[in-house]
Amino acid sequence: MAAQGVAAQSFRQAMAWLHTWFGLVLGFVLMAAFFFGALSVFDREIDRWAIPSTRFEPQPMPSYEQILRPAFERMQPTQQAIDAMRPRVDGPMPEHFDTVANWSAYTTHRDPVLALFAGFQVPGAKDPDEAIFALGTIDPRDGTALPDDRLKIGSGFFYPMHYSLTLDWKNLGVWIVGFSALVMLAALVSGVVMHRKFFRELFTFRPGKGGLRSVLDLHNLTGVVALPFHFFFAFTGLVIFSATYFFPVGHTQLHDLHDLHAATEASELGLPHKRAGVPAGLANVDAMVAEAQRRWAARDMAGDVGFLVLQHVGDANGYVSVYRAGTDRIALVGQGIHFKASTGVLIREDPVATPVGKVAEFLTGLHLQHFRHWLLRWLYVLGGLLGAVCIATGFVFFVEKRKRQHAKQGSQGARIVDALAVTMITGMVAATLGILVANRLLPDDLPARGDWERYAFWGTWALALLHAGLRSAPVARGLANPAWREQCGAIVVLALAAVGLNWITTGDHLLRTLGAGYWPVAGLDLALLATAAIAGATGLHLRRRAAATAAVEHPRREAAHA
Amino acid sequence: MHEASHAAWLLSAALLASLVGMAWLALAMPAHGQQVWGAPVPPAHARVLRVLGAVALAVSLALCLASDHASMAALVWVMSLAGGAFATAMALAWRARWLALLAPWIGAVDTATTR
Amino acid sequence: MSNAAMLPFPAPRLRLAARIGAAVFGGYAFSWGFIAAGAALMFKAGMDFHDAEFLSSALGLLVFLTVFLWTFATRRLVLAWVVLAGGGALLAGVASLVQASIV
Repeated sequence: MAAQGVAAQSFRQAMAWLHTWFGLVLGFVLMAAFFFGALSVFDREIDRWAIPSTRFEPQPMPSYEQILRPAFERMQPTQQAIDAMRPRVDGPMPEHFDTVANWSAYTTHRDPVLALFAGFQVPGAKDPDEAIFALGTIDPRDGTALPDDRLKIGSGFFYPMHYSLTLDWKNLGVWIVGFSALVMLAALVSGVVMHRKFFRELFTFRPGKGGLRSVLDLHNLTGVVALPFHFFFAFTGLVIFSATYFFPVGHTQLHDLHDLHAATEASELGLPHKRAGVPAGLANVDAMVAEAQRRWAARDMAGDVGFLVLQHVGDANGYVSVYRAGTDRIALVGQGIHFKASTGVLIREDPVATPVGKVAEFLTGLHLQHFRHWLLRWLYVLGGLLGAVCIATGFVFFVEKRKRQHAKQGSQGARIVDALAVTMITGMVAATLGILVANRLLPDDLPARGDWERYAFWGTWALALLHAGLRSAPVARGLANPAWREQCGAIVVLALAAVGLNWITTGDHLLRTLGAGYWPVAGLDLALLATAAIAGATGLHLRRRAAATAAVEHPRREAAHA
Repeated sequence: MHEASHAAWLLSAALLASLVGMAWLALAMPAHGQQVWGAPVPPAHARVLRVLGAVALAVSLALCLASDHASMAALVWVMSLAGGAFATAMALAWRARWLALLAPWIGAVDTATTR
Repeated sequence: MSNAAMLPFPAPRLRLAARIGAAVFGGYAFSWGFIAAGAALMFKAGMDFHDAEFLSSALGLLVFLTVFLWTFATRRLVLAWVVLAGGGALLAGVASLVQASIV
């Protein structure tokens, strides 16, 4: 059916074919992208839950003179980074990297801890522009260094899961998710073409009708009510990665134009591209930051510092760039103000973006969400979950529509899709809970703790796949797969375990976190309890339905035997 | 801080306006009038409901714009429409009669003519 | 089914593979050409390079979506291949010519 499906058909039929088969295959990837995307809205809050030592309030960018300078001066590349650099260097590696290419600190209104980056020149490197990097994390209140070895389950795992499935080999994961985003756009357009009663059925959901009609209603409803969200997130996701991964035109075919632009831009901006080789001091950076904030206020913009960069540290060409955190609008960090490092004199204030630049900031900021707006964040979670339900109901519809037919034909098709659907829906949720449980259970000082947490995630998912497959035989007879309700039960147990373990291992139970108003941890615990409740209710409903079907089947079978 | 709670009130009102606006638009539709009152609403009432719905959605947009920078307000509004439409659909599916409260001027008498 | 005679692959599975190939790879080639030509032409017309790159990428992704859908809807598969692969090559050629005229 699939092979001859496309040719000699009407436009609507062709779109239906495309929607069904590409939706089916790429839907599995899209489930992950939507679900982990929804979790990524609160990635930093999930980090707080996973790393209890960072459970304090978000902090503003601290003083350079008092906090950042000593922290930066301590930073040196790790042995691992040095070893990785060795093949790219002629001669011996230095004991200590003295020439700092740049120091930078980055924060948002949701970060309690501060991320520090240091880039050093590499003496004797084959490529004169080569740099070696060091990363650090500090408590911005007093500058103490915090261990970097904890896996940031939110921003360091769920977030990369959503855009690359953490498949980093040759950026394969980014390409797979990217292609699935294109297919998402195609599925949205083809879905609208297929859906004859788009406006008439905008609010239609008939759970009473049961079976295919209810599932299709829910699929259409969740797809249509959040259609702008689904379209814009798939589109902006592709746009964000376009110039780097998918269509790197500026780095390849138009490389010459890119370099021409970079050269003219460097001379126009007055921000030197290279060191002068002449040592120079550093004026008071806190004064420069204060001046930047004064200038932003004069342009009527909120004055949180998002990004602070010191370029060519210790050199006469050195400059300091202060960027605003775009908390009050969609655009990311912006309105950079640049000062000459040795004197503190203003070099340049970034001008207002061009119209195209503004569109670019809006589209990327819309997706990457550094703004301060809790309602909008929750609305994004709603959109993401609606998208996940849309895809999930798509799978269920596919299986339900073909189950009986396949049973008669002796085909295993519906059974396989059903088992995969269980894996991607209840299995994926179980895996997510598995990593949280492992995070609380594993010993604190376990070496490579983050790796073990990741194994727990993938292991749980693999178990879910195995379970779903082993229990799926009834589907080949036209019946429901019991794995659905069984995995719902597992989700209840895991979610409650996660909440309980957080209480036992950190003492931060819900009453305490709610009382203190510490929402990152309270919010996740509440979400876990809600997950347990929904999974529990769903499991019970499925069990009741299975019992009802069995009651109908049993007399029929008895009659057949008689 | 005062500004934050002020914005919270405005945004709550915006959400409510989106929800009510979507509900009114739904009630004007024959299939949903049937679910709520047992029959579609007469054309004159349907027109009123549609106008009310459109006005409510416009009010929601205005409230969003009053709370935030335009770039954020636009997104909050569009997402509030999604939420309002979804909530309306859920209400129609399980508690259709509750929506009758949103148009108390429409009684059994009015829908009797279209039954 | 008259175009089945025009095609070198009468077998439905091969035809399907050719169609998917056209949509994915032909579509990619056409989009690349569009983005390269768009960026080069807009830069030549005076737009900032990164702005030109961004705008043509955003439009190019919508173009990819459009040709992807069209490739599944069209009855003329050979035409799809010619337009997408050929058109992509042509547009890429334009981009390189424009670049050569600037640097």
